[in-house]
This record gives sequence, structure tokens and C-alpha cells, in this order.
Amino acid sequence: MLRESSTAVVARNETWTGASATEPYEAGWATEAVIFVRALKPAKGAMPQAFVEISPDGMRWIREGASLTLPSAADELAVARFQHFGNWLRLATELPDGAECTVLVTLHLK
Amino acid sequence: MSATSSDDLRRALLGADPRLSRFDPLPRIISHDDFDRGHCGWSQLIGNYEGDLDSMLPGYQPLTNPMLSTLAHWEGGSHGGMDGSYVLKLATRPQRDTATVGIKRLTFRKAGPIRLEFYMTFKPEATSLALSEQDVKSVGFLLDLQSGDKSGSPERVMPHLRYLNAKDGVLQQKWQFKRGAPRIHDIGDGVDTVSHFHLEDDGWEDLPGGDQRLCYNEIPTKVNWHYVCLDFDLETMKATGFRCNDRAFDVSAFDSIRMPAMKNLWCMLNLAFFTETAADKRAFFYIDSVCLSGDF
Repeated sequence: MLRESSTAVVARNETWTGASATEPYEAGWATEAVIFVRALKPAKGAMPQAFVEISPDGMRWIREGASLTLPSAADELAVARFQHFGNWLRLATELPDGAECTVLVTLHLK
Repeated sequence: MSATSSDDLRRALLGADPRLSRFDPLPRIISHDDFDRGHCGWSQLIGNYEGDLDSMLPGYQPLTNPMLSTLAHWEGGSHGGMDGSYVLKLATRPQRDTATVGIKRLTFRKAGPIRLEFYMTFKPEATSLALSEQDVKSVGFLLDLQSGDKSGSPERVMPHLRYLNAKDGVLQQKWQFKRGAPRIHDIGDGVDTVSHFHLEDDGWEDLPGGDQRLCYNEIPTKVNWHYVCLDFDLETMKATGFRCNDRAFDVSAFDSIRMPAMKNLWCMLNLAFFTETAADKRAFFYIDSVCLSGDF
């Protein structure tokens, strides 16, 4: 049987300011993940790091270890790869005052 | 083999297959989605757009991606599916009155009777140690259909049914439907693309005799599966039957959202599930499994 593989769009055209995160996504069937962040518009201000987070229940979160710097220019990409994540996944960040980015975040699982 | 014995043999084969014996399919099984085999074509609903994603109607912006879930809970672990480990899960955002949708896009081979059967359950996110019975607003499903291109009187027809569980903190526990003509919006320059959002809270009507109390269970993390079945005739574009668990409902008053046929949707047969939250917490709608069948 072919290995299961799936792409999930976990943030589409969302404008992030302050504390921001993708919606929780369950991926317990997968053993590896790649997450891309694409800037859909030029960002405002300095872009911080965003952190892959995992959770025992989809409600309480802890950093997994993988991270990326949010992209600044329109259509610029950032990526992180990780595995051994259990079930729940999200990408979380905190933008400084005045900073803003509009993102497309895609999760690629297999 | 006579027609009768052929039918008996078919029924015996269905009855001997534990994956299908829980369904009553029409003669042709068009799809049988067991989410232990992946997403089975159920994907995120995207609003129409042109130029950039800002042109999408606001109702489509918060929709989220369906996922495969083992229905895991913080204190009880994985609940699992009706059969096997995985189920399809739709999750709203944690903002009151937001919705989400999962959709499967097909076309039909014959404009005749179809039957959509599925097993479902729903719960709010277990963010509080309370019953939370009024926190899921609704779970529902719809078909998005259009006649074939040689039909004499083509139209686009969208039968909707939702189980309105609660509203404004009060249990409602009844089935509702939507009918009438939607307001169509131009997208971009309006030459190629139009859109309408059909899941607003306006326009829902009670299905006569459609009150039904389901098994919610006693805490937010215990779930029970429910059987749902809709019969629809693609030739007359009318519902012919609707059942949930032990109840069969009169659909003589049921009608659908209807509009003139669109230029690029011929023979469309889309299936969609949706849920809405009544509180500032996520509503979860779980489906395992789905059987679509037709009489052809």
C-alpha cells in the first residue's frame, strides 16, 4: 500500500499581529512533517521566529524544538522540518508591537 | 440467476461485510469512505476568489482544514472511530458563531435516486470541566447539485439540513432546512467568478416534526455514534427520505436552496459536512464512515 501523504492549509490569508498561532491540527497518523510559511503581502516591522509546538491534548502547548523566521517579502518562504511529534501540531509566534504579516501556512505530512 | 435471487445474494454479501452491513446502500455504491484509509477526498471548502484571496467572501475566511483524528481526549485518551482508529474531524475556530466545512466533490452519472448515509458525533472542545451541552451550535450536511448540460430545465440545487443543537445558551435539538434563492455576489470583475455564502444563520426553517434528542452523554469527552441517511432524487431534485437513528422524518415540506444553473457546474454532485460553534470554544464534528450510493 502506498504511504499516506497529505497537505493541510492551516492558515490561509491570515493577518497575524501580537501572539498568533495556527489552529490545532491532529496528525498522529504521520511520522514526519514539513511546515511552510509563505508571506502573501510585504510584512510590516521586524519578523520574529515562529515555533513548532506540540501538545498532549490540543489545548496545552510546548515547543517541539523546530523553528523558522517568518518571511518578510511577499511570496518569500520559510520552512521547518520535524518528526516524533505525537499527535497535535501548531505553529506559534509573537510579533512585536507594530509588526504584522499576512501568511499562508501549509503542513505537509507523511 | 433471477432478479430476486440476485438481490438476495447482494444483500447477503453486504450483510456479511462488517464495513458495509451498517449501511443500507442503493444498488451502486459510488463511494464508501472509511477514514482508516485516509481523507478519502474530504477537503477544506475554499470560497471563490479572483486576483487575490482578499476577494473571498468573509464567511469563507475562517473555514479550516479537515483532519484525521483518533478522537483523543485529555483524560480518557483515544476514543477511536465507529470502526478502526481514525475518523474525519471538522473543527471550528474558538469564536462563537463561526463554522467550518468539509467537502467532497463528485459528478453524477445518472440523474436518479441517491442515498447519503453516515455515522457522526459531535462535541465541544473540552476546555472546561463541565457538561458543555449548549456549546456546539449545530452539525449538518448539504449537497451541492446541478443538472446535466442537456437537462430541459437546468438548475443548481443545494439541499441543506442541520441539527440545531443549541443557540444563545438554550438547547434547541431539532433538524432544520434552508430553501429559497441566495444572493449572488460578483467576485473580481464579475465576468468569470461569482460566489454566495449559504451557511449564514439566516433562513433556516424547522423541519416539521424534526425535534429529536440525541445521545450527548454525560461529560464532554464521552461520545456516541449516530446514523444519518438522506434520500434524494437527482431527476426531480427533491428529497425523498431522511432518517436519524430510530426516527424517519416527513420530508414533504423540505425544499432546497435553488438558483439558475451556472455555466461550469454541470452534473455536479458535491457532499459537505459542517459545524457551527455556539460558544467561544471549538466545536468538533466527527464522521466515521460515509456511504454514497445510487440507483443505476
